[in-house]
Parts: sequence; structure tokens; C-alpha cells
Amino acid sequence: MIYDIRHVTTYEYESPVSFARCTLRLEPRSGNGQELISHHVEIRPRPAERSVRRDFFGTLTESVVIEAAHRNLRIDSRSRVSVTRQPRARAAVSPGWESIRDIAFEATSLGPSSPVGYVFASPLVPVLGPVSAYAAESFVAGAGILAGAVDLMHRIRTEFRYDPKATVISTPLNEVFAKRHGVCQDFAHVMIAGLRGLGLPAAYVSGYLRTIPPAGQPRLQGADATHAWVSLWCGEELGWVDFDPTNDLMVASDHIVLAVGRDFSDVSPVDGIIVGSRKQKLDVAVDVLLVE
Amino acid sequence: MAEGAAEEDDKAGKAQGQRQGQREGQREGQRRFAQWVRDYRRLPGIPDEFLGPDGKPRAVWSRFFDAFGALAPDEVERRFGMADRHLREAGVTYRAPGESADRPWSISHLPLLIDEADWKQLSDGITQRAELLELVLRDIYGEGRLVAEGALPAAAIAGSPEYLRPVCGVPPPGGRYLSLYAADVGRGPDGRWWVLGDRTQAPSGAGYALENRLVLSRAFSDLYKSMNVPRVAPFFEAFRDSLRARADRDEPRIGVLTPGSFSETYFEHATLARYLGFLLVEGDDLAVSDDHIHIRTVAGLKRLDVLLRRVDSNSLDPLELDASSRLGVAGLIDVLRKDGVVVANMPGSGVLEARALLGFLPALSRRLLGEELKMPHIATWWCGQRSARDEVLSRLDEVAIEGAYRRGVPGFDSNGPVLASELDAAGRQRLIDAIAARGMDYVGQEVVRLSTMPVWEQGQITPRPFVLRVFAAATTDGWAIMPGGFCRIAEQADARAVSMGDGARSADVWVVSDKQVSTATLLPAIDKVRIRRIAGVLPSRAADNLFWLGRYLERAEATLRLVRALGSPSGPNKGTAASLQSAERIQRLLVTWGAISQTSRAAPGRIVAEALQSPERFGSALSLVRAAQRTATSLRERLSPDAWQVITEMAERLAWEVEGDDSVLSAAELTLQELASFAGLAHENMNRAAGWRFLDIGRRTERAINTTRFARQFAYDEAGDEDLDILLTLVDCQITYRSRYLLAPILAPVRDLAVLDSYNPRSVAFQVTTLNEHIAALPSLKEHGLIEKPQRLAVAMQAMLATAEAEKLEVKTLFALEQDLLSLAEAVGQHYFPHGPNASRPEKLTGLA
Repeated sequence: MIYDIRHVTTYEYESPVSFARCTLRLEPRSGNGQELISHHVEIRPRPAERSVRRDFFGTLTESVVIEAAHRNLRIDSRSRVSVTRQPRARAAVSPGWESIRDIAFEATSLGPSSPVGYVFASPLVPVLGPVSAYAAESFVAGAGILAGAVDLMHRIRTEFRYDPKATVISTPLNEVFAKRHGVCQDFAHVMIAGLRGLGLPAAYVSGYLRTIPPAGQPRLQGADATHAWVSLWCGEELGWVDFDPTNDLMVASDHIVLAVGRDFSDVSPVDGIIVGSRKQKLDVAVDVLLVE
Repeated sequence: MAEGAAEEDDKAGKAQGQRQGQREGQREGQRRFAQWVRDYRRLPGIPDEFLGPDGKPRAVWSRFFDAFGALAPDEVERRFGMADRHLREAGVTYRAPGESADRPWSISHLPLLIDEADWKQLSDGITQRAELLELVLRDIYGEGRLVAEGALPAAAIAGSPEYLRPVCGVPPPGGRYLSLYAADVGRGPDGRWWVLGDRTQAPSGAGYALENRLVLSRAFSDLYKSMNVPRVAPFFEAFRDSLRARADRDEPRIGVLTPGSFSETYFEHATLARYLGFLLVEGDDLAVSDDHIHIRTVAGLKRLDVLLRRVDSNSLDPLELDASSRLGVAGLIDVLRKDGVVVANMPGSGVLEARALLGFLPALSRRLLGEELKMPHIATWWCGQRSARDEVLSRLDEVAIEGAYRRGVPGFDSNGPVLASELDAAGRQRLIDAIAARGMDYVGQEVVRLSTMPVWEQGQITPRPFVLRVFAAATTDGWAIMPGGFCRIAEQADARAVSMGDGARSADVWVVSDKQVSTATLLPAIDKVRIRRIAGVLPSRAADNLFWLGRYLERAEATLRLVRALGSPSGPNKGTAASLQSAERIQRLLVTWGAISQTSRAAPGRIVAEALQSPERFGSALSLVRAAQRTATSLRERLSPDAWQVITEMAERLAWEVEGDDSVLSAAELTLQELASFAGLAHENMNRAAGWRFLDIGRRTERAINTTRFARQFAYDEAGDEDLDILLTLVDCQITYRSRYLLAPILAPVRDLAVLDSYNPRSVAFQVTTLNEHIAALPSLKEHGLIEKPQRLAVAMQAMLATAEAEKLEVKTLFALEQDLLSLAEAVGQHYFPHGPNASRPEKLTGLA
């Protein structure tokens, strides 16, 4: 499937901003059943400096400096991506989770795809006793890694309430877990924390999800959102397998991967500092259009 | 002849007497020494520095106590008192985590003595270790062969929050990761020194070690000299030179990056900056521009070549590391990628502080250096490995459990090690489960009985456990080891958990040599010195603080003068209608300034006391002096110890509760004298570089504003004798006036003296003239060729004051003048301190983008 994705981020400031330094991670990655066809980012006001590099995780990272005074910052990212990802069967047979845990830990690489980098606490995902215990209920002794993860994903989908007003980025994980509510980012973080608590290597994936409007209704422009889910290393043979706890879905061709990291802080699509205005209003509009 | 012979006899007699005295002193000393040895209660089964296994004092300590014992007990106490006083007066402090007040530094009065041969082993071991750790860092962040080839488990690195992915593959600017390394060591039961932990992030303590040395070597200078203790100055000199050499400019600018005055060890940051001649900077002082780090100074952005950081790696760059940190500078990591700044130590170096790594170092040493580790470290089992985990679980009561990667044990609310034997059954099970589930987060460490050293307690010596921190600096000729170190003495038996926050003491460390030592100081060899007259650049924040220090102190002075005028028996409280009105005016002014509450209609005595020392009133003299003190705290590296001491004394004096009008007045009087002595110190002792000017600009601006205000209040058009008299008192011009006019106060001459007379150092005109001189001498930032706002305002005011006539001066002119002065203060702030407390700080972009 080929998608056209438009991702527009707009900041409105109460008073003029004289300087901004931003980091953008907006280019969808290629690989794992996904191919980037084209990508373009337009920034207004026009930046004084733009430079790109690949970060540790392989994400194309653009550094931007804006020196013109402005009250509005608009980052308009357009991408065309081809996705041909086959979903894993939920009930597929897989190795026991304990053996995955032990193999992952013995990895002899510190590289971005080495599972050992994803078994430890990370800036936004602490390892918490209660969360680990919650996850352990899905991973009985000898259970298959896929079966355990599917069960955990399903429990999060059914036991947590989706509530876009309940949390912000800075809401700590223990609060999300205690109150059992949040958004995709929170559910992904909870699932990651649970998996890591058991010693399993779990990564955070940011991206987009194609939404299918209810039958008979037109697709609303800008109604889509950035999305987040979990990638779990399931051994040499299965590799990294993606789970979407917000929708209780095995990730397939409706998901488009933007970036992968240990948690949101590694992949945040737009990040930065500004000088000038304390009050700011953020608007993010995402359109995922199926081309063919 | 006869006289001369008598003189000779006399001399001989005296000399004999002296010798006899000395001999008696020696005998006394030996007696005292013997007594100390008898009373010294070694802890059972624990080795001791002072007494050997045979119960006899070791040679170095005998040498020390022979001389020390010869000092009479009261002389010993006198010298200890001298050391304590020096520390107090120099304002040596530290802060316990979570506390907002500084604690005085506490030094143990006896140094730790280390025999030269013993020291040689220790320093060889540290040198080797520093070199090994540098090589390990190079590999971890570079090629990664150690992990790929199985010499180091990836998990032992990946688990550390200090393993910084953004700097992977970024070669450290300046060529090395570690510039300053420290190891905590203790002497084990086998008599060897053991490494307890490595400090590779931003080791603290070197500055305190320096301060301890200054104090103790001064208090016991004769003893210190006789022990041939090598000085620590050459170490700092080598460190400074190596940092300079690592920059790619001839005259590099070097900053000590501090988290700020709330940091536990801020005093040390200031000490190091001053001693090494570096700038003390905070994250807000820095900006990234043109792929380099710059300091915001009163002369615009100035490139910074080297940062000696005391901020932890993760806080260094909100863009690529901890996004919530305000201690660093956005874009720093990208500057490192572009080789634009040397950071010591390189961000990410802290990864080697992980205890998980300790067990791998012997093999890494053989592999990377081709030699055995010279110094053992405390036995450590990383529970990420099955065999080690089993070992720890089977010997749970014999080991201490620690976090594998950072301070504290995950899941346990403890800053130090967790001992299974001290847990209840449930806690113990929780520990076992935690280690079984995520063993990689834990290490078990052998519980070592470290040696004790003598400390002085009430005329006796008693043994206490200690930890010694030894410092190594990378120089162009290899590693330099500080001869001595930072010794912390524990009150509890296990010294490993010792932290200054727990009320521990520190001690100086003397390496004792048989040979004479050279007496190098920090003055570089003469051929290396380039004469410099202006001391570097002035960061805007420091200028801002100096400006406010000047303003706070001047406002305190004005408040004290009002208090004195109100409370003085010859003042306005004589009961006449006119004098009551004048008192009312003073009170109104004190209300406006926030020195007394709106509703104070109490007895004048109470009002005076309130204005002097009410901690609730932001404008009381006490509050103002405290504000000055807070401001001065951020200027420690720029103020002389004398100046700091004066401010501290004022704050202490004003905080004492005083009773009765006389005491209040005399407190005000004494504080005014101290303010005068601070002004004198600033005037006579401060270098006339830009810093002094900003202090004086603050003072002059405030004085001009206050004097204008006084003139408006007390020299209004219908002002009577009483009011004019008060004005003359407030502006300290009684004597000048009487010598000039021999009359009761009259409006025009009084106004002339207080406002227009540019020869009177307390007049408004004098302040404005001085302000003009300062502003003209400050660096210009202009790009457009136009006169800048501060100068425009100051020049206009000076012209107005120079041409005004006292007889025609109107109150509304005075009012306009006051407004102009306030605008000038603001213009100076905006022009020179664009990043002062009120200015815009960098803000994070918010929201889930």
C-alpha cells in the first residue's frame, strides 16, 4: 500500500519569539516492510540554519535554527511511503519468553538494533515493581513470547481507558498505571515498562495509523494523529515484532513507522527550545491518505 | 669589655634556658604522646593507620606526634581555633542535598599521614587505572571492540543512564575523555589500598582538598614544614596547563560550569574557578552560535574554548539529553560533534562509574595495557551474570547489595548499600525476588573492614573509619596525581556510605617525605607569564549580580539612615508639631520601601526595630542585607574573603534580636560602619575592570534615586528647618553645610548641596557624573553607530544637573529626575544583562508534537 502523509505542526506564541532551535524527526524510516518514496519538510519562518544527520537509532534528524522573530512556527512535513507488512498471527507458536530474555541479555553489540539496549529503564520508562508484576501475569513460566505479549497487549486495551484529556507528556508512568488511563503514548510506555520489568527487550515506535472512517462517512481532513506502539524483540528468528496496545492490534500495513527508540524522548517528532514566549499553543494535524 | 661580656653571659644564659625549656617541652610532649597511645582504643579486628599490628605507632605518625605533642594543650587548641576561624571567615561551606542553607565546613584537625613509599604504590595504581579507564571509554564510544569480542558484556554498559547514545562515535574534542579522574580508596585488612569506586563524571572534592590544605598548613606551619609534605599547587598548575593546551587557541577562555549557587558544592566550584583563573559560568550564561559555545558577557558573545563541567552529563543539553534540565545549554552536543568546544570530562564518561564494570577491569587491564591491575578493588559480583548472581544469593548475609549502575539500590529507598541482614523477612524476600528477576540492576560487594585513622576529640585521639579520594589529572606528560587528596571521616563504622551531607568531617592528607620538598606555588614559571592587566571577560549574569549587590547594599544604607534619623534622640521625635510631621514623612518613606507595614502606628521604637530587622518586611535592613548576601553567594569567585566576611557579619548582626532604642540604634550604627568598610574594600581592593564598575553603577544609581527621593520628601517647596535638617542628616552633609553657611538650613542651599553640587560625593549630581564615567568606559555593543540608551539618559541627566539652579529647582523636576534614574537602571539592565533574572530564558517547546 502507498500512503501520502501530511503532518503539520503549528506553534502559536503569545509574545514574539526571537530565537528557536529545533530537532525534527519527521522522516519515515525504510526497512521492515516499509519503503520511503519521498519526503519534504517546509518550515516557516524560514530557518537560518538547517542540517541533517542520522541519530544513534538511525532516525534522520534535522537540526533547525530560526533567528527571525515570529509568533507562529509552522512545520509542514509531507511523505510518501509504501508499506507491505504482513501481520504476525496472534496465535503463532514462538519460543518461550525466558529463553528470549536470556539470549537478549547476552547480545554482544551496543548498536541500535541490539536487544540489550532495550531491557533497562529509560528516561520516561522506569522499571516499577507493580508494573512488572502486572506484566508477569501474562507471562507464565514457559509461555511463548508472542502469546505473552498478545495477552499483555489485550489486557492493556481492555483494562485501561483511552482518555486524551487525562495525561500530558510529563505525566509519570506510575500515575498512568495507577489510574489506568491515558493515550497511545502512555499505553506503549506501560507495556514497555512491564516487558522490561521481566527482562524482555521492548522499544518504543512512533508513527502514523491509517484510520478508516465509519461506513458511509467521509474521511475528515487532519483527523488522524501521530501514533505510538511497542516493538518487542522475539529472538533471532522472529526479530522485532510490533504490538499496538491502544488498539489491541498486531502491527501490519495500516501502521507507518516514523522512528524507533527506547521511549518517547528518543523519537519525539518535533522538539526544541525557544527564547521569548512562555505561553504557547500547539496544534498537530495529521492526514494519512491511501494512494493505492 | 665588661658590658660586652655580661651581654654574652646573658645570651648564653638565655640560650641555655631556652634549651632547657625545649627539653622540658620535649619531655612533656613525649609524655603526652605516650598517653595518647595508651588511650587510643583501636576497633577490634580493624587495621589502623596510626598503630601497627604490634600496637606501636607507625614511623610517620611518631614523627608527627613527637612534634605535635611538644605543643602545649592550650597552644593546640589555639591553633585548632585558628583553623576553624579561617574556614568560617573564608566562608567555606557545602550544602546537604535538599537543604537551602549552607553548612559550615568541618575539618578534622589532624591530617591523614601517608608514608612516601606507601603513596608511591597508591599513585602508581591510580595512574594505571586512569589510563585504563581512558582506553575503555575510547573503545565503548568508538570502535566497540571490547563488547564485540566479548571482553565486556554489552549489558554492563547499556544499563547505565550515563551511557550517552548521542555521543557514540563522536571523538572527544581535545583528544581525550578524562581530564580529571578520582578514585575513592580505603586500606583493606591486608594492608593494601583498595579502590572502592571510580569517579569519572565530574569528580568533586579537589577544591575542598585545596582549602583543607591551606587551612591546616597555615595553622601548623612549622609542623607542616618539618614533615616535608609535597605541595598540591603543582598538581593544579599541571591540570590548568593541560586544559589550556587542549584548546585550539593560544589564549583560550575556560569556564567552570556550575549548576548554580544551590548546588551542594557551589563553594568548591567558585574556589576552583578563582584558584585556576577560570570563569565561573552557569548554563544560562552560555549560548551556541557558529558551532561554538559562547558566554554572554557585557561586551556581547565571547567564544568559550573549554568547559570544566560540574554539571552531570544528562543535564548538559535539553535538546539531546534530559529535556527538563535548565543547567546546560541547548545544542552543546551538536557543538561537540563539530569539534567546537572541549568539555572536561567528555559527556558520557560517567558510564564507568557503574559498579557492574568493576569485575571486568582486571581482564581489561591485561588486554588493553598488557599488565596486571596494580591496585585491587573491592570484590564485586554483578548479578547480571548467572554465576555471580548465584554467589550473591548464596552469601546474601555476607555481602552489601548496591545498584549496578547508579547510586541507590533499585526498588529500595536507600542512598547507600542495602544489607540483607538488616532487613525484615519480607524485605529480605523482596530483595531476593528483585535480584532473581532483574539481577543486572544489582551488584553484591564484599563488606570490607577498612582501616581507621586518628581524629582529635577533647584532648584525645580516637580511631575513625575514612575514605580517601585521590585525584589524577591528564597532562601533556601523562597523569599527574595530586599529592594528598580529599579524606572524609565517617562517624559510623562503614565508611563507604560516607557523604558530607551526613555531618561527616574531612581531613587534609599529608604525604610524608624524608626529603625536602620544593615550594612551588600556583605562579607559573616566569618565562611562561604574559603580562595581563584586564582580567578576562565579565559574564552578563555576574555583572547583573554585581549591579544588584551594589543596589541592595546602598538601599540598606539608606534604610539604616532613615532608621537612625527616626530613632535618634536629637531627631524628629521631640514632640513638636513640626517634628511629628517629619517623623510621619520618614515613616511613610519606610512604608513605601516595604521596611515597615502599612498599619504600623506603633511606638517609634517598635517601628525602628521593624525597619531594622523584621525578616517579614522585604525592605527591612535585614532583608536587604540578606538579599545582598544571596546575590554575593553567586559572586563568590569575584569577591575577596574580606568583603564576603563583612556581608556575613552584617547579616548576622541584624538577625540578632535587640531590645531597647539604644541597642537598635547602635546596631544600625555598627551596620552603617560595616557598609562603609565594604565600600572601602570595594574601592581600595577591587580591580578596576568591568566588574567593579557594575558594582559601583548599582550603588551610584541607587544612591541617586534615594537622594532624589529624600530631596523630594524633605526639601519640598515649603519645607521647614526640621525637614531640611533631616535631609542634611540623611545625605550626611551636616558638617559641610554648617561650614559653608553658618546658618540654620535654608531651602535653596540645602537643595544645592543634596542635588546639584557635583563636588559633594553624596549629591545626585556627583552620582550622575560618576555614572557617566562608568558608562563611557564600558564596552560598546553598538553596531549602528548611534548613542546607546544608558549613555543617552545619563548624559542628558548630567547636562540638566550641571545647568540647573538651586533657586529655580522645582519638585516636579526632582520627580522627573527620579523617573529618569529608574529608566537608566532599567536601560543598563536591558543593555548589559539581556539574560538577567527578568529576561526571557529559553523555554521548551511543549506538547505532544
